[in-house]
Amino acid sequence: MISNRRIPIGDYGLIGDTRTAALVAIDGSIDWMCLPRFDSPPVFGRLVGGEEAGRFVVGPDEPATVVARGYRQDTATLETTWTVDGASITLADSMVGEVTESMLPDSMLVRRITGQGRPIRIRVEISPRFGYDRRPARRVRRQNGSLIIDHGGIALAFTSDAAVQLTPDRPTILEVTPDRPVTVVMSAAHRGPLLLVPPSVAVEKAERDEIRWQRWADTLITGPHHRQAMVRSLITLQLLTYSPSGAPVAAPTTSLPETVGGSRNWDYRYAWPRDASLGISALLAAGKDREALGFLAWLLHASRLDRPRLPAIFTLHGRPVPHERALKGWPGYADSTPVRVGNGARTQHQLDGYGWVLEAAWQLTRRSHHLDSETWRTIRAFADHITRTWMEPDAGIWERRDAPRHHVHSKLMAWLALDRAIRIAEKRGWSSRQLTVWRGSRKLLREEISVRGFDPDIGSYTAAYGSDDLDAAVLLLTWTGFEPRDSPRIVSSIEAIRNRLGAGGPLLYRYRGQDGLLGNEGAFLPCSFWLVQALAQTDQRAQAETLFEELLEYGGQLGLYGEEMDPNTHQYLGNFPQALTHSALLQAATTLNH
Amino acid sequence: MDWSGWATFGVVATVILTAVLVAAQLAGLTRLDIPMMLGTLLTGDPDRARFFGFFLHLVMGQFFALFYAAGFAELGVASWWLGAGFGVAHAAVAGAVLVPLLPTIHPRMATERAGPTSKTILEPPGLLALNYGWSTPLVTLAAHAVYGAILGLFLQVR
Repeated sequence: MISNRRIPIGDYGLIGDTRTAALVAIDGSIDWMCLPRFDSPPVFGRLVGGEEAGRFVVGPDEPATVVARGYRQDTATLETTWTVDGASITLADSMVGEVTESMLPDSMLVRRITGQGRPIRIRVEISPRFGYDRRPARRVRRQNGSLIIDHGGIALAFTSDAAVQLTPDRPTILEVTPDRPVTVVMSAAHRGPLLLVPPSVAVEKAERDEIRWQRWADTLITGPHHRQAMVRSLITLQLLTYSPSGAPVAAPTTSLPETVGGSRNWDYRYAWPRDASLGISALLAAGKDREALGFLAWLLHASRLDRPRLPAIFTLHGRPVPHERALKGWPGYADSTPVRVGNGARTQHQLDGYGWVLEAAWQLTRRSHHLDSETWRTIRAFADHITRTWMEPDAGIWERRDAPRHHVHSKLMAWLALDRAIRIAEKRGWSSRQLTVWRGSRKLLREEISVRGFDPDIGSYTAAYGSDDLDAAVLLLTWTGFEPRDSPRIVSSIEAIRNRLGAGGPLLYRYRGQDGLLGNEGAFLPCSFWLVQALAQTDQRAQAETLFEELLEYGGQLGLYGEEMDPNTHQYLGNFPQALTHSALLQAATTLNH
Repeated sequence: MDWSGWATFGVVATVILTAVLVAAQLAGLTRLDIPMMLGTLLTGDPDRARFFGFFLHLVMGQFFALFYAAGFAELGVASWWLGAGFGVAHAAVAGAVLVPLLPTIHPRMATERAGPTSKTILEPPGLLALNYGWSTPLVTLAAHAVYGAILGLFLQVR
């Protein structure tokens, strides 16, 4: 058996129901699953909480080798196949997304294992834990053949069609034969009655869900190339969207480290306006206008309490994110401590957020989507706010925890915010004194960025005014319209960023140097896709294609991407999978397809 | 019962209740948008929804004012503080029972069980409408207390 703490992050597969998600290790162990929502404490938390934090294993009990791993075509069902001494078994893991209008539990996890060849022994291990103090079940009982475990508001039912009695915290050994697959179903309830679902019904519901995913994927517009990677990214973005509110979750995990053994471990189980806006662009490009409108609606609804200020992060219901704290006694992934919940960036001033949001609103307007009066009022409030605050330093896109700086990328995004607000106003035929103020600020911003944000000696836009550090986020300059795409300044900036921040092949660090935190980090994957996009948009298409193909290789069999990658080992680092990386992949692929 | 008072001050109290909620919303205290929440029972266009929702809320306010008037008549006393007390009880029941039930019948409101094909546009309010902001229960209590106080002040006991 593989030691859980040594399983590479990229070897985890994602399954989900758009209310929560689970990470399935290559040995069939669910090492991460929060209930009832993405940002709740985990019931299976071994990923960062150690052996005491719970797991749900269905896998071979004999020496086995993984021979295939992947998602069923255009679905969210994960399959893992092991060979066991000439025979093989395949585990299909899925969660049922659509549970409304039927007698199904709030969350239902279906694990079905089928054998080929001889009978094979499998092991089922059920060890849920509750709360961040990893408490064991308060009550365990059996009802109608199901094992029922509950604690506080959470109740879990485990049901199997195998003729064995499942027992918590002790392995149960079963035998799978080719003519008799085994299904184990976990039903979950939160502050409500538990619904016990027979395995045959659960399998049928899971198959129906698969068909729904396939139908959804059939309607995606992806262009002629890279369809498989794009569909996987879009399904992943959907899986990371909390359906009850429409909030996009940055990642389903907390504290997967940016360096193995390091302390840069953050909680990403929240929603960032930046990610939502990027998601809007990605979904619009794929012809999913309804989903894109849903993201914008969530964003505007969530930000209402703070208007005209746009908070950096929200919870899934648009509330302030909890204060950051370290979990006592949690060993972390591969001894990477601390394990944090909450996020300290909650109060940061991040000027770039407005640019992302107004760009998304512009994309919708450009496609002739009607923005209702409330949305237009919000856009005006954001634009007015930018005219008053763009001259202040901020924490920037990377949420640096040292002193605020005049980040060039933030100023560019502030320029973008005003530019897009002006375009929307013009398209609506709106004229007001405010529009003149916006135009004035846009002009001032352009002049200031051009003079203070560009270093002629380096030949690049810099990370911050007066600094000679570079920032890979500046690669986004190519699509903003701030300068013509073939401008020498843009071309030389791309070149300088590749030279100074390159981490080998298509990999880039987002920045180098001190950032107020201890330790280092890996190459930042969204920046690699932004590089592809920048190259494609500056007539360096062949290079862009080559780098993109290399990046697709890094996605492995599952096509999932993390936040960062170790440039030496090519192992993922940081929370996984990461919505921002998948959105960036989609942007790059869309650019290449055009 | 004071029917003419009910007809007049039911409207006045509901308009002021709506105004308090809208003011709280504009002040950033809550995301609760009662006209939109009610109006989207009828239409998916947020702008039209607010228009229809305002009138729906007026009708509902008038309906609930009946119970206030009956209560004052039954107790033989009507005063602003008794009305405010009724309002607090009204808000507590609405927040704890009626609002959490709304997603079960609202065609455009998601539930906590919504899945990826959900076409809804409003997120579920949750218990005491807390999903719409921490101070939503306080705003709702205050608005209903004002509503009740107006009715208590102006309705006659007959």
